[in-house]
Amino acid sequence: MFRPATSALRAVASASSSTATALPLAARAAAFHTSAAERFAQPTGDAPASSTGKASTMKEIKIYRWNPDQPAEKPKLQSYHVDLAQCGPMMLDALIKIKNEIDPTLTFRRSCREGICGSCAMNIDGVNTLACLCRIPKQTNTASKIYPLPHMYIVKDLVPDMTNFYKQYKSVEPFLKNDNPPAQGEFIQSVEDRKKLDGMYECILCACCSTSCPSYWWNQDTYLGPAVLMQAYRWMADSRDSYGAQRKEKMQNTMSLYRCHTIFNCSKTCPKGLNPALAIQKMKYELATE
Amino acid sequence: MSTSALFRPTTSALRAGLGFRGIHSSRVLAVQASRPRLDATIDANETAGFKYTPGGPILKGTVNDATSFPAPNAAHGSYHWAFERVLSASLIPVMGAAAVSTGSAYPIIDGVLAVSLIIHSHIGFDSIVVDYLHPRKFPVIGPMATWALRGLTGLAVWGVYEFNTNDVGLTELVARLWRA
Repeated sequence: MFRPATSALRAVASASSSTATALPLAARAAAFHTSAAERFAQPTGDAPASSTGKASTMKEIKIYRWNPDQPAEKPKLQSYHVDLAQCGPMMLDALIKIKNEIDPTLTFRRSCREGICGSCAMNIDGVNTLACLCRIPKQTNTASKIYPLPHMYIVKDLVPDMTNFYKQYKSVEPFLKNDNPPAQGEFIQSVEDRKKLDGMYECILCACCSTSCPSYWWNQDTYLGPAVLMQAYRWMADSRDSYGAQRKEKMQNTMSLYRCHTIFNCSKTCPKGLNPALAIQKMKYELATE
Repeated sequence: MSTSALFRPTTSALRAGLGFRGIHSSRVLAVQASRPRLDATIDANETAGFKYTPGGPILKGTVNDATSFPAPNAAHGSYHWAFERVLSASLIPVMGAAAVSTGSAYPIIDGVLAVSLIIHSHIGFDSIVVDYLHPRKFPVIGPMATWALRGLTGLAVWGVYEFNTNDVGLTELVARLWRA
């Protein structure tokens, strides 16, 4: 932070014989670019470790690559080396750094970079998670591997085709359905009823859980998968919704709900710490006891 | 320039298929014409063949369609699931009862245990067939596997019946193997 400022001061001092306006344009521009983050964004051809003062530690990251423009070429793992001293702490920072500085053809989804949009869901070191919530492992002797979400059709590189997932989400009608709204004002809900929705409404539909479920891998077209089932139950459990019976009746078949074999991969992998398996189990229990 | 700018909205409205409005002379008329029409006077040919929906057309047959559900049948859904759980749970006391009794003295317990074990296994194997060999993906092997499983289960029930009525029975067999 201080170094550019002092160098600018030095430049001012050297030019103090004349007026301050005689300062070279580049020096003045450098004086304004003082933050470390801005330094990261610059191409680091010269003295890369100088801006943070850390010794450079190179980390190998292997990333799944597939280009639809060359459909005959098989997907491959491409190796990138990232200097951790010049990179933010999260995997998404590394991906953005690779795209900015090494390979602009690398393709991935990202938006909020803080775990609320669910765009950057991918398989990092064998676990489905959000790249923005996943720290880069400090061990530099082993490479980290990044794949797209498993068992999905791939659009390009780390971008999976989520069409079927969204179609399934639409099929559970994820909105309030009630034919008798209150005459005036809003639906009144007790604190206890509101608590039933905790742990379900937080879902960001990143599809980490669904794509970690072996049942969803084999029967993706008919089994709804943990994420969509938890959202289905979120509306069954809502005290303001009056279509619970119809919502439950839809699940009365072999495939939609009952392909869940309580494997618990969904709850294990959820980057938001939610428990889809519990919601599915509650749904099965309510269906059996109603 | 000014004439083309005047006519552009009208032509684009025509191209969008929202109906013929005529060349309007005043702004008031134009506003009235663009108001949503709730009556059923809009023909299908005005909306490119799609059904007119007040508030905006919902186009069917695009990727935005929701997936469909199979016909609801509780026998394949919650009844099946509840039966499976009840059977699994009841196997525990039946196993205990068979362990402390002798098959020759209590043939009912022997028979109940044998049949519940077979049904329990059948549900488990059937689950494997549905998961991995579903007829929608395996139109030949799928039904073959289902019927092979049913045949084997029937064979097992018949075998256990013969064994329990004409021989020592399941409990006694396990007891003898235990002592041997």
